[in-house]
Amino acid sequence: MSPLTDTRKRELRRELESIVGQAAVLSDPDELMVYESDGLTLFRALADFVVFPTSAQHVSAVVKLANRENLPFVARGAGTGLSGGCLPTEGGIVISMMRMNRVLEVDYENQIAVVEPGLVNLHLSWKVGPRGYYYAPDPSSQQACTIGGNIANNSGGPHTLKYGVTTNHVLGLEVVMPDGEIVWLGGKTREACGYDLAGVFVGSEGTFGIATRIVVRILKKPQAVKTVLAVFDAIDQASAAVSAIIARGLVPAAMEMIDRLTIQAVEDAFNCGYPRDADAALLIELDGLAVGMDTQAEHIVAACRESGAREVRTARSEAERQLLWKGRKSAFGAYGRVSPAYMVMDGVIPRTKLPYVLRRVNEIVAAAGLRVGNVFHAGDGNLHPNILYDPRKPGEEARVVAAGAEIMKVCAQVGGSISGEHGIGLEKADFMPFIFSAADLALMHRLKSAFNVSGLCNPGKIFPTKKSCVEVGPVAYRPHAIEEKGLAQRF
Amino acid sequence: MPDALLDKLRAAVGAANLLTGVELSPYVVEGRTPEAAVFPGSIEEVAVVMALASQVGRSVTPWGGGTAASVGMPAPRAGLIMGLRRLGRLLDHEPGDLTATVEAGMTVAALQTALGSRGQWLSLDPADADRATIGGVLATNACGPRRHLYGTARDLLIGVTVVTADGSIVKGGGKVVKNVAGYDLPKLFIGSYGTLGVIVEATVKLRPLPGQEELVCVRFDRLKDAGAAVRAIAASDLLPNAVELLDGAAAAGAGLAAGSPTPGGLLVVGFDGVREQVDWQRAELARLTGPLGGRDVRPLEVAAWARLTPAARAAFGATAAVMALAVLPSQVAETMEQGAGIARGRGLQSAWAAHAGVGVVRGAVASDPAPTDPAALAAVLAEWREMARAGGGHANLEWAPLVVKSQVPVWDDPGAAGRIMERIKAQLDPRNILNPGRFVAGI
Amino acid sequence: MDTTTHAAPPAAAGPLSLHGLSVEGVNQCVHCGLCLAYCPTFSELGTEMDSPRGRIFMIKSLAEGRMSLSDSTVRHLSLCLDCRACETVCPAGVPYGRLIEAAKAEIERDRPGALGRRLFRWLNFGLLLGHPRLLGLAASGARFYQASGLQRLVRKSGLVRLLPGTLPAWEALLPPVPAKAERTAPPRVTPAEGPRRARVALLTGCVQSVIFAAHNRATARVLAKNGCEVIVPDGQGCCGALNAHGGDHERALAMARKTIDAFESARADAVVVNTSGCGAHMKAYGHLLAADRGYAERAKRFAASVRDLAEFLAQEPLRGSLSSVPLTCTYHDPCHVAHGQKIKSEPRTLLAQIPGLRVVELAESDWCCGSAGIYNLTEPEMATRLLHRKVSHVLATGAEAVVTANPGCILQIQAGLGAHGSAVRVLHLVEILDRAYGGPGGAQ
Repeated sequence: MSPLTDTRKRELRRELESIVGQAAVLSDPDELMVYESDGLTLFRALADFVVFPTSAQHVSAVVKLANRENLPFVARGAGTGLSGGCLPTEGGIVISMMRMNRVLEVDYENQIAVVEPGLVNLHLSWKVGPRGYYYAPDPSSQQACTIGGNIANNSGGPHTLKYGVTTNHVLGLEVVMPDGEIVWLGGKTREACGYDLAGVFVGSEGTFGIATRIVVRILKKPQAVKTVLAVFDAIDQASAAVSAIIARGLVPAAMEMIDRLTIQAVEDAFNCGYPRDADAALLIELDGLAVGMDTQAEHIVAACRESGAREVRTARSEAERQLLWKGRKSAFGAYGRVSPAYMVMDGVIPRTKLPYVLRRVNEIVAAAGLRVGNVFHAGDGNLHPNILYDPRKPGEEARVVAAGAEIMKVCAQVGGSISGEHGIGLEKADFMPFIFSAADLALMHRLKSAFNVSGLCNPGKIFPTKKSCVEVGPVAYRPHAIEEKGLAQRF
Repeated sequence: MPDALLDKLRAAVGAANLLTGVELSPYVVEGRTPEAAVFPGSIEEVAVVMALASQVGRSVTPWGGGTAASVGMPAPRAGLIMGLRRLGRLLDHEPGDLTATVEAGMTVAALQTALGSRGQWLSLDPADADRATIGGVLATNACGPRRHLYGTARDLLIGVTVVTADGSIVKGGGKVVKNVAGYDLPKLFIGSYGTLGVIVEATVKLRPLPGQEELVCVRFDRLKDAGAAVRAIAASDLLPNAVELLDGAAAAGAGLAAGSPTPGGLLVVGFDGVREQVDWQRAELARLTGPLGGRDVRPLEVAAWARLTPAARAAFGATAAVMALAVLPSQVAETMEQGAGIARGRGLQSAWAAHAGVGVVRGAVASDPAPTDPAALAAVLAEWREMARAGGGHANLEWAPLVVKSQVPVWDDPGAAGRIMERIKAQLDPRNILNPGRFVAGI
Repeated sequence: MDTTTHAAPPAAAGPLSLHGLSVEGVNQCVHCGLCLAYCPTFSELGTEMDSPRGRIFMIKSLAEGRMSLSDSTVRHLSLCLDCRACETVCPAGVPYGRLIEAAKAEIERDRPGALGRRLFRWLNFGLLLGHPRLLGLAASGARFYQASGLQRLVRKSGLVRLLPGTLPAWEALLPPVPAKAERTAPPRVTPAEGPRRARVALLTGCVQSVIFAAHNRATARVLAKNGCEVIVPDGQGCCGALNAHGGDHERALAMARKTIDAFESARADAVVVNTSGCGAHMKAYGHLLAADRGYAERAKRFAASVRDLAEFLAQEPLRGSLSSVPLTCTYHDPCHVAHGQKIKSEPRTLLAQIPGLRVVELAESDWCCGSAGIYNLTEPEMATRLLHRKVSHVLATGAEAVVTANPGCILQIQAGLGAHGSAVRVLHLVEILDRAYGGPGGAQ
């Protein structure tokens, strides 16, 4: 519950307006309600204000005001996140970065770009595309998500198999620290001076400060690209093909798996060319030099066929390739055609455990009486089981949450992680003890204290709230502390 | 050091694994002899030693192969050396997962041999691979020419186990190639020079060994033209795994300056992949560099790889100082020429070598034949640093005698970020016992 | 956090509706946000209330009773262009166009506005659009205003600034109305040339028939060149699209019924439409009249026969001999062609067949130009921002002409280019085709 009285709110609104301008502050309850969730609607929480800064100085002034008033604050990009990471917690200020969306500088010679955090990921590739460059991290939401949000979550994407995640492409950041000071972490050169603070900042889920300028690498587009679709009658065969490809010493640019239910949803959406009757399909992309590409593609085809693929074909045109990718990248949204809601998991497992874990996922969800669609980065072992449910049916949501926790545990047990790219946020904070000890978490907390001295910058995220439950092992679902306080609700 | 503490240390690691007195000579740095050197045999023993040191407020210097022992300022009071040579095992290598977990004391060469037997490698090629340990390489963020394509430790380390200043065993990251759960502790410890914790175990991403690899050099009369060639390569379709630029002195130092006269610049480019890819790229390199003044495109022997990173320092019989400058890749050749000019202006000889494609340049100053004037040397180094800073980069003194280091700060000024670094150090090592004073901002 | 405004939705809600219109489609939205960057208003403002996801959320909350029709909610819903760009990118298939039309109908019911605004709506939606003769009279009046020099006088004297409300914007956008002789409809029957391909009925439209009657005549000629017998059914009027988009639901229904009545008797193989908003709307008649027992089936049949001109023509290569049109042009996708009807490649396919014509791609070609029915009159500020965006992209192409396929877009972009002092012309697709066929006097 926000501690602010209406009078105080009005005063603060005026003060915020004096910083960012009248048309850049929201405080109307109906307007705030639109900001109650991100891409995960399981959690909702209301802020006191949403502000729209257009400069680092604006952000700094807002943050200083928040510190003075002891108000929590959190930065928000496009709100496509899937872990509740940008939700406010105890009222406070949501700082929307959407009006800081410029490409400030492109240095083609040194292959870097300086951008503002509200820039849509794909728009950077559009900007540098005509000169033959692109920005490599390609989360499936890249058409909408922002680079600032990618920084917070260290976002991945299909092509991270070869090119790495966001952190591998960020050289430096201008950051408004949680006390309002504007500081550069890293810079334009490839070497850090002192501790790799830029590296530590990326993936800190908005708890270390707010990035206001970002130096990213842009890459030369590969000379050649080849996209192969392999179709399987059994999902185990597809898993085996992934291992067979790696065993041949090949590391494709991307290797994505998409199961039957998902194929049907995306085919309904965009008619992308995935066979509706297949049990699973692998979308494999090779890129690099034109020379030698055919040889590599032959290896891929052979590995798929040996693993039992019933059909292996290569995209014949750029349009066909784009359509296949459109299907893959729209998969989450396409579940809207088969279910009114879904919860996406983001577990990571060692590649070699793929067949076992996929079987376990299907068993767990079936036992809960629910359906699951799988679409994921098979090459990285980054699973995305999407559990479908209807929030209007009593009890379904609780079963989804319980099944999700079960799946996370399986991932932890095989030596994996509870998040590959979506972040911990609110959603998985209480799963952290599945993979981290009390000492691990204590060190992370000390690191947080070094950046976020007051604790006002995006509180309530990442860290589990019950210190007693740090042992690895079954932990029953229980409400997050801020849910218990009635500050956020899980629906 | 009190006997009681020595007894406790002996009890923790076994008497044979504690060195004192004259046995400490290999661990003398800048003339400072530590009080003892301990060699724990397990992570738990590291933790016990750390806890003991913490209790009595003794400083601790983690020690791998000792290849970077002289980097940075020595601790004002040399305490314990924490030698990690007994933690030398490859714990886990699953080729299907392209990952390996290794103890910190294993040497890079030993790890590569083990991985290579199963067709894989860790795509990190620091100098002195047969002495440098994984823990040391991570703590100093060491790397080599192949970083051009494969990146540095920050791109390869996916999990790390560390013993912190209070003796806790802490891990960050995990064993999977993609992981955003919790803060990125591996990034924090890479390049932290043992000031935040003792790295004891690491999980790394691997790559399949390439079918073919070839190192090719191209001679240029003028360094400037070689710099243009570096930019041309960056803008081309080539996918080299190394792009190195050496001036004549460094090329000679690396034994690569065949023919005469000594080239103004030597461009060294590495390629890997299947045979046809390497062949195509070599031909394409010749086609690109020819019009820019490149001549004598020829392959180099495999042994040349290891001589590239230390080439500048190897140029002289005796070296007064080596500085590593981080600049924009487009500024590399200019930095080298300008830097050499600065040295000449003070009557000093210098040699230059760079991981040119990524903008890491090393300049070395000769101290022979006559002993170098310390004031002139300090002035040169300060000017080099200014030159790097003017282009938005920075420079660290990679090697120099203590007398020089006391005049020219080893580490560049991290600016306002330095305050955050100090807070991190204070949070993780509140009693300041881990390599005190060795690092940036007096950390 | 205010927990009272924050209750959970009803556990087992019945079908959701607004103004009696189903908005169940809101449940298809999974809040993924992939629509955000494709929404022109969100791109301009960055506020989620002005994004498709935010508006769907508001519509859902309104239907569930979590939110009331407050001033701010009305404001954000009204700012929607109804361009349906979000529908094209929505993987979940949210029928956004239907949702926003229901919301706008609810807004009209709830707050019809001040007398002036109601009068204005009645005049336009009720009187002019519903009665072609009155529209013709109004056109004559406007023609007099323009041709007599009165317009110049009003503008020069500054009198225009004294006009109340949005009238100055209206005045500025008032298109040049052609003389009466130029406003004639195509013949009731135009015989097919060459081997017969189909019998098609042509919608002449309301505003189109007044301002762009020449496009209608050109359409009949081009269709005839392509083997079509072209019928212009009597008794047709406005299709009701503007009413539906403006929240005037009841009259929109009546107009739809009247249109069906008029066209059924033509017994055509297809109903061809050369204005994007009308085509998209008529294709949705089945949904619009689904609850009307007398019309539901007929509406479905009718809707299935509707074809956009480009969609119809591009099914086959263009017939007959085409002469060279030496021009560099770019193509602007009208929203209700690209998003409303998912027609993007067809116009480009047709343009590519015209000898001499060079077509350069336009950045954000399928972004709304701000015209959006009467949006440029009701939301002039946002419309102007979007127009500037469009015009700057057009100028960046270096094209001599912008080709498009909707009267609203033509007027809007022409006005925008005019304001920039640009000589770039805006042409209807059919004008280019007609010119390639030789125009009104084209060789047989």
